Amino acid sequence: MKRSLIAIALALSAASLAAQSQIVTTVDPSQAAKVLKIAIPFPELTPPAGNANAVAVAQEVVHAPFFSVLTRDIAASGVLAIAAIPPNVPASANLAKQVGADFALQMKMWTEANDVVVEARLLDTTGGQPFGKRYRGVVASLPLMAHSLATDLVRAIYGKPGIFLSRIAFASDRTGNWEIWLMDWDGQNQRQITQHGALSILPSWSPDNERMVYTSFARGTSDMYIINRRGGGRIRIPTNLALNTSATFSPVGNDIAFVGSVNGNPDIYLIKDDGSNVRRLTSSATIESTPEWSPNGRQISFTSGRSGTPQIYVMDAEGTNVRRISFEGEWNDDASWSPDGEQLAYTSRVNGRFQIRIMNLVTGQSRIVAGEGSNEQPAWSPDGRWIAFQSNRSGAWQLYRMRVDGSDIQQLTTSGENKEPDWSKKIE
Amino acid sequence: MNNALKGFLAGIAAVALIITPACKTNKTKVKDDHVVVQPDTAPPSVTIPPNDTATRVQPTDDFVKTDTAPAVTSDVLPTDTEELNRYLQGKGLIRDAFFEYAEATLSSDAQAALTTSANWLKANSKYNLLVEGHCDERGTEQYNLALGDKRAQQAKDYLVASGVDASRIRTVSYGEERPFDPGHDESAWGQNRRAHLVLVGK
Repeated sequence: MKRSLIAIALALSAASLAAQSQIVTTVDPSQAAKVLKIAIPFPELTPPAGNANAVAVAQEVVHAPFFSVLTRDIAASGVLAIAAIPPNVPASANLAKQVGADFALQMKMWTEANDVVVEARLLDTTGGQPFGKRYRGVVASLPLMAHSLATDLVRAIYGKPGIFLSRIAFASDRTGNWEIWLMDWDGQNQRQITQHGALSILPSWSPDNERMVYTSFARGTSDMYIINRRGGGRIRIPTNLALNTSATFSPVGNDIAFVGSVNGNPDIYLIKDDGSNVRRLTSSATIESTPEWSPNGRQISFTSGRSGTPQIYVMDAEGTNVRRISFEGEWNDDASWSPDGEQLAYTSRVNGRFQIRIMNLVTGQSRIVAGEGSNEQPAWSPDGRWIAFQSNRSGAWQLYRMRVDGSDIQQLTTSGENKEPDWSKKIE
Repeated sequence: MNNALKGFLAGIAAVALIITPACKTNKTKVKDDHVVVQPDTAPPSVTIPPNDTATRVQPTDDFVKTDTAPAVTSDVLPTDTEELNRYLQGKGLIRDAFFEYAEATLSSDAQAALTTSANWLKANSKYNLLVEGHCDERGTEQYNLALGDKRAQQAKDYLVASGVDASRIRTVSYGEERPFDPGHDESAWGQNRRAHLVLVGK
């Protein structure tokens, strides 16, 4: 898997495609509401003539792990829609015109040595080719190749990449212990990252998507750990404080904000990711919890019981200028900033159940999304279009994702119980 | 003092111990009972095995409160830590403190439970204690981890104020991660809001 990550996504060097600019059609992001249509026939599986190493690949090998993943990504992109097409018609400018689409995606797939190769060309209705690229990787990498192609297509057409290569970190108890897990943005490819054999919870991504910080009770105390996204390089960050929960990397610099406690007084602290320079940011005698950095790293939201009930507050990253954000409901927690820094999503009790509330920090207006059951721990996608959250609507805690307007709710997990999603930060 | 008299007095002492819980702190009455017994009365035929006597006494909470806890000899305590905790909790010698919803303050019931526990801990100084803070599921996970920390510390502070050496007590918060009762009703929630006292090896 690791090797195939490196192997895929080789930009096409063939002269026929290299001459083309990869991006010639770029939609102004301000016109994001305009959804362009794309016709995506099934890939042609005939090996290219003149390539002695090319061997045919079977349809069933590429259907679910590649074609389905690609079309699901595009359909969920929000900027591209898939045009209905007649069966067995190859991709061409004509096809796009016939079905009222703006583009057709031509794909050819074959195998070479141990790799599957995908050659993709985006065709517009005038005979132009705005995008072309070749990808290769082992069969197990087919979903990753599909996510890569979908990301590139959205970038080529829309000007900004899709988030189909993003990942969601979470805690799952499916092995019998709560451990840290990762999955692709669509819920596929779920893999275990920690092996503590002990309660391990609350993962949070570093801004470069390389590491996660989390809390584990592996030593019988609750400690802060950092691990890389492949499950290696695990280190414990000693703080000499209790709790060490809700740890979160600064989006700028190398600070980690977390909840530490001395003599039963939980407060917000900072520590460098090498374990040095512990600083206390809050000094209330009440409970302070759940810090989260604003995207520019200048502010930190947190939960405090200082008013008598848990409410959301925001302070400057130096601990000054504290102001209260949430006033509705008697229990609010789990604040998470939208990538543009203008909104806070948080868990808010409404009529006895927790719901996801989205507060516009500019206007001060808030709205409730989600629905059945208790819905908690919202996490924004790196493009700000989606929110992952946990819900017990099925009777057990599972992870879901929805668009920020509450539509398109999809369940992402089914095995064991799953909670505490955190979406990778950087768009790749 | 001859052996018969020794046995007789041991018997009296055992009776006194059994009576004690019922009469609570009225120790003079126990003394009166003793006086009533005539020295030249024939010794009771019951021969109580001296070593077993103390442990066979049913230790109620009141019994412990009258500072007679040392009568429970440590050599009969389970050596396995898990069994020991079950035994002491079952006997009410170590008692958890329960909390109101979203609260970390100790109610009078919680204080009584901790007083009981402190008495046993003081009399059995070879054991250390872990205090786990727990919360019910009605809150949010992250805030509840902090709330559990506060609960555990409140319990620890009370034990220390009751004379237990602070260096023997460690705290940890499990928030709502490890409920005692998996149910979703008032009764389950009440069980899950607690400072759980766990003896750990020295």
